[in-house]
Amino acid sequence: MTERASLEPGAVSPEGAGSPLLSVENLSVSYAATRAVRDVSFQLHDGEFVGLLGESGSGKTTLGNALLRLLPPPGRISEGRVMWWGSARTGEAREGPEPHRAGRDLTTIGQEDLRRLRWREMSTVFQSSMNSLNPVLTIETQFRDVIEEHTAMRGAPARQRIGQLLEMVMLDPSYMRFYPHELSGGMKQRVALALALALRPRFVLLDEPTTGLDVIVQRSILDNVRALQREQGFAVLLISHDLGTVMEVSDRVMVMYAGKIVEDQRASTMIAEPMHPYTRGLLGAYADPRAREVEIAYIPGRPPDLSRPGQRGCLFAPRCQEAIDVCRAEEPVLSAMGQGEAACHVAEAAYAAGDGRRDQSARAGEVFTAPAGRTDRGPRVERRQEVLAVAGVHKRYRSRRGLKVTEVDAVQDVSFVLRAGTVTALVGQSGSGKTTLARMVTGVERPDTGSVTFGELRVDRLRGRGLKAYRRHVQLVFQDPFAALNPAHTIGYTLSRPLINHQDVTGAALRPAIEELLERVGLSPASTYIEKYPHQLSGGQQQRVVVARALAPDPEIIVADEPISMLDVSIRAEILELLDTLVRERGIAMLYITHDLLSARVLADEVLVLHNGKLVESGATLEVIRGARDAYTRQLLDAIPNPFATRRG
Amino acid sequence: MSTPIGQVAKPIDSEPAPGDVAAAVRRSRLPSWVVILWANRKSRIGLIMLGLFIFVAVFAPLLATHDPKVTDFAQSLPPGGAHPLGTTASGQDILSQLVYGARTSIVVGLVAGTVVTFIALLVGLTAGYLQGWVDEVLSFLINLALVVPVLPLMITIAAYSPVRGLFLIIFVISITGWAWGARVKRAQILTLRSRDYITAARFAGEGRLRIIFAEIMPNMMSLVVAGFLGAAAGAIGAEAGLEFLGLGDPTTVSWGTMLYWANNSGAMLTGQWIWLGAPGLAIALLLSSLTLINFGVDALSNPHLRER
Amino acid sequence: MRYFVSRVMFFVLTLWAAVTLNFIIPRLQPGDPAQTMVQRLAGQSEAIDPAAIRAVQIMLGLPTGSIFEQYVDYLQAVVRGDFGISYTYFPYTVTHMIAEALPWTIVLVGVTHVLGFVIGTLLGAAAAWKRNGKFDTVVSLGSTFIGTLPFFWIALILIYVLAFTLRWFPEAGGYSGEIDPAWSWAFFGDAIYHGILPALSLLITAPIGWIMGMRNNMVHTLGEDYTRLALAKGLRQRRVALTYSARVAILPNVTGFALGLGTILGGTVMVEMIFGYPGMGKLMFDAISNRDYPLMQTIFLFTTIGVLLANLCADILYGVLDPRVRREAQT
Repeated sequence: MTERASLEPGAVSPEGAGSPLLSVENLSVSYAATRAVRDVSFQLHDGEFVGLLGESGSGKTTLGNALLRLLPPPGRISEGRVMWWGSARTGEAREGPEPHRAGRDLTTIGQEDLRRLRWREMSTVFQSSMNSLNPVLTIETQFRDVIEEHTAMRGAPARQRIGQLLEMVMLDPSYMRFYPHELSGGMKQRVALALALALRPRFVLLDEPTTGLDVIVQRSILDNVRALQREQGFAVLLISHDLGTVMEVSDRVMVMYAGKIVEDQRASTMIAEPMHPYTRGLLGAYADPRAREVEIAYIPGRPPDLSRPGQRGCLFAPRCQEAIDVCRAEEPVLSAMGQGEAACHVAEAAYAAGDGRRDQSARAGEVFTAPAGRTDRGPRVERRQEVLAVAGVHKRYRSRRGLKVTEVDAVQDVSFVLRAGTVTALVGQSGSGKTTLARMVTGVERPDTGSVTFGELRVDRLRGRGLKAYRRHVQLVFQDPFAALNPAHTIGYTLSRPLINHQDVTGAALRPAIEELLERVGLSPASTYIEKYPHQLSGGQQQRVVVARALAPDPEIIVADEPISMLDVSIRAEILELLDTLVRERGIAMLYITHDLLSARVLADEVLVLHNGKLVESGATLEVIRGARDAYTRQLLDAIPNPFATRRG
Repeated sequence: MSTPIGQVAKPIDSEPAPGDVAAAVRRSRLPSWVVILWANRKSRIGLIMLGLFIFVAVFAPLLATHDPKVTDFAQSLPPGGAHPLGTTASGQDILSQLVYGARTSIVVGLVAGTVVTFIALLVGLTAGYLQGWVDEVLSFLINLALVVPVLPLMITIAAYSPVRGLFLIIFVISITGWAWGARVKRAQILTLRSRDYITAARFAGEGRLRIIFAEIMPNMMSLVVAGFLGAAAGAIGAEAGLEFLGLGDPTTVSWGTMLYWANNSGAMLTGQWIWLGAPGLAIALLLSSLTLINFGVDALSNPHLRER
Repeated sequence: MRYFVSRVMFFVLTLWAAVTLNFIIPRLQPGDPAQTMVQRLAGQSEAIDPAAIRAVQIMLGLPTGSIFEQYVDYLQAVVRGDFGISYTYFPYTVTHMIAEALPWTIVLVGVTHVLGFVIGTLLGAAAAWKRNGKFDTVVSLGSTFIGTLPFFWIALILIYVLAFTLRWFPEAGGYSGEIDPAWSWAFFGDAIYHGILPALSLLITAPIGWIMGMRNNMVHTLGEDYTRLALAKGLRQRRVALTYSARVAILPNVTGFALGLGTILGGTVMVEMIFGYPGMGKLMFDAISNRDYPLMQTIFLFTTIGVLLANLCADILYGVLDPRVRREAQT
């Protein structure tokens, strides 16, 4: 099985303790002109749980695909090797030749050798659970084909094994008869996990395994993974953009930026002593919402475009506040320093000077603070002017399926008020009724009973023309800024429409008005953005345009639906700061819908916790988050990954 | 007749989008759609081919050496001399007929393609945007029109008509060929109308018509253009087929009637393979040009595809 | 279950709509085809069969009686299967003529449609699997061009080359004059020999739509995570290609199967006419030439019902193949 590979030069077994299971040597991957992964080297040992942290476009998923040799075309490995040092182990799921401790280069190994290695030795869980299971095969078939391909197990014993595997991920064995579309997202992801462990592999690659799932489900799956990993001893590479998760569950964390690993050290020491300014920036963007004082930072700017040739120096330098001359001239290489490795001239110089622990209290990037109690928005919350009142609303949805009519109470007896210059956060999982409430506030949905009043206006009774007129008072900020901007129109056109329709701005007055809006949301100089199309802007810039459009009619209320959840971690605080400024300066009442308690803690004056359509807890932000009384609120809080917990107590 | 009307088989284009087309669009004085289509190699070939056909059709009187209807020449001449492609069994110049035939096909493609696209758009837009019972009824009509076999339906309608001619053929093609386009457009509208930017437009105070025509339509351009190309191709094929069956006016000069006469006056017996072959090949090349253009159409309403 | 019920409902509704359409078409025309027809019948033959006149009137409209009465008469006639006497093939009934022609067409269309589907789907899958390779380029570009060739023109060229010049196949007919139509091997062999060219005329372009559809769908499913996961699972290429990519990619083609039948039927009309092949297409052509409206309309009705039935079968097959539509509400 290993004859071919073991003949290759350099494929000698590294002797002694600490020999790796997988070693990546100077790996580069390119997509046409884009160098997505650049000269990456690292090792992974048996039973190790390693996190690979990076933002969108950092190359982390490409790296993961390259390890498994699953790069979609036109991606290709342009340089380097991926050495697999794993060997056959004794165990019920594997037969074959005696253990060799010889490495095989996965990038050049023959297709058939690679195929036999796959799943028995290394398996994976993909990012989107929605699509990683074949929609037309039952769960059982999808387990069975891999078991029958690689082992001698057939028939009833195989079925029994599948049942065990499902139980292992806390699913009832009877689910094996189901098709993927009959399972929820979380269940599908559990199935995918059980599938990955079906043959007791030595290495499992988890690519964003819980992204898109509710926090509580996420937490439960991750706990499950970690427990199974301790029990079975497989090595894990966890790819994620979610710093909290990665830091909490991983033994060791690698941080990726612009196709390179910029830092690699143990999670516990990384929290205390991040070496690379980018890592410091990321850590700064994260905090424990329950802390007395919460401040989060963002890194200004945007990641480089890796398809542009001829970029010199450290690619993070343009966003780095600590950058020195050498950073712009020469790209640093990953080298040992402190308690791990980092690729940074500044850190290297500091460690050389014996000052490795640079002032860790000085956050990298711009800081946005949420003090213990907000006092910067004028008088006490209760004394601010009431803009909109929701009183005792109730909404029931009926869905008919054949003769069966199912009724769901989406919202039950909810009341709250929105006040000028105040942010009210609506927190809950998907299906909690958040969206229905937001739609009632905007007048799109009518409650069955109860009322929504805006000044003298009964919003729940508006129709046609009245509804249209009401919209100038209430505006929306969306979750996905790219989806919220028409790709066919320029930014200037998009912003001109509400100005023309709601403010009667026309002719020569239009352009200055648009420019003013853009400047107000921090897109400056405005003239460079007017002619641009949405796809030419970064996610953060797009979201600023969406905010600018919402500001155009000078509304009293803004409903912001998860406005930062699709954005990269390093720029989230930037948008929060913008929203905060607008609320403060323009006295806007904001309904901030989120599942993320940290952002609620930073931005909101008041928090409403919604669970199964009912308001389970509400009050001033600090009181709700630091002194949660309701069991569900506490569950939500506990589900938040908290790498700082053990250190800060 | 090989593809249903409005449905041009179109493979996904694997050719990477060339350089910065958007920049080229900005620089150029040509309409942007020409530049965008031109950027795709297959589209470019299609555009050139179509351009040639249109050129021939427009300048037919200058290009043709003879009047295509004149029967003065010797019958069934082989190619050569004054008649590069020979003459028909009734003594007409084949090349001149071929040249004038381009006119008929182009006109049918243009007119029937436009009408079919218009009906499809109207039905698809109405069904997709209004939803509710209007949609139910229209969707049923679309599905019904899809399953009824088109050519037998065309034949049946055409057979009843007291007058025969190009107008009838265009009419028959138009009322039978809209279903596929309507279905595709309805589906597209259904996905587009639930987009966040449509909600945003509503909150920006836009009215219903403006949402349909300024927000939804620009994002459907490639679909509409592809639908038009497909409908035009289907119409050109159907016209030839109907005329070949003798359901047109046999005195018009078109590629379909050429084949009708070639078949009925024994072109095979006289060994006039050019009379038989040339019109069919001309139809195939014209339809190929439309299919090729279709390869680049996706970039029309997706600014993102133009760059990269 | 709900899915299957809704499909049967759709079938019944479309069936009714097609029958009604068949009733409406002649009545939309300017002039009165029934009148002309009756006059022609009366003027031409010595003994006019009253049944023939009655048939014309049912199909094309009574000179008297409200449109509603006409409709009821017509529906009753359709239910009884009474389509009257053919004018062209007097004294045979329309039903008799169709019964004679139907088997020829069913065999011709059935064989070519199924073969076209199978060949096209396989070629499309192969092209997608080796996408952007030489095979794919040849198949894709070849399809682009061949797909544009008109059925009838292909038939003419085939006759010219294979029958007229090379004399490999007969030029026309469904069987030789000297062999009597009977259930004998000699007859079957002869019929197959005669059927090769018509079938080939249809088969050259029949796979094109399926090639394109399958290739595009499968290029898509090959990029899906479940296909990549199947590769990561170390399954054999063949299994990945068949049970993962192709298995899902074929679904839209199955829905297209019945719609494609309409297209190939159109081709059959012309091909049968060119070859003088004794099927429905030739019958329809003869009916048009002789302005035999009752025969023409009945043929139209039968073809439509045939396609509707095929559509129902395809829908049911789709429901069996795709578990998503079976248990979920209809799409």
